Amino acid sequence: MAKKERKGLYEGMYILSATLSDESRKKAFDKITDGITQKGGEIHKLHEQGRKKLAYPIDGKREGYYYVVYFSVPTQEVLELWKEYHLHEDLIRFMTMRTEKVLDSLEFQPIKMQG
Amino acid sequence: MGFNKAPTSHAPAQGGDSSSPFSRKKKTCPFVAIKASEIDYKDTENLKLFITERGKILPRRITGVSYYYQKLLKKAIKRARHMALLPFVAEE
Repeated sequence: MAKKERKGLYEGMYILSATLSDESRKKAFDKITDGITQKGGEIHKLHEQGRKKLAYPIDGKREGYYYVVYFSVPTQEVLELWKEYHLHEDLIRFMTMRTEKVLDSLEFQPIKMQG
Repeated sequence: MGFNKAPTSHAPAQGGDSSSPFSRKKKTCPFVAIKASEIDYKDTENLKLFITERGKILPRRITGVSYYYQKLLKKAIKRARHMALLPFVAEE
């Protein structure tokens, strides 16, 4: 079978260092989004969740700036993206995974517990 | 011959009725009730219902979550921990 470029829908969560100034954080985040578009992907939805306290300190940092990005990218480029992310200095943590649908809002209904 | 659940001779005579001090209300799975298609790791407020103060995952015999959803829940909690949304071990 001929090699065909398959695109997958992904959801990525990124934690950038909260110690950065607004400008340098924007630059650091642009590096992430540019990386996706340069690999032939496109960004569908971008959620900026803002500054949050980390549940545990990572590399001595107690706060992080959270972003959630929905994007589609050729499947074989994801590994390349990861390599980039590992070299990214201001990125504290990241996670990308396949999803089925793009969430328009990140608010959830509370679960009712019985008994 | 099948294993039918016949009461054994030394079972309590009045066991099983609602007046028994050992009977308790059956817990129902909150995810089955809403027919959840998935459990999202970003939904930390709800995930917090299923962990202890220390940050451990509660067993489903306590929460009443079904076997299927407990597996999804486990994955969601572990993802949330990786992204520092939930603690691995909470300090007291």
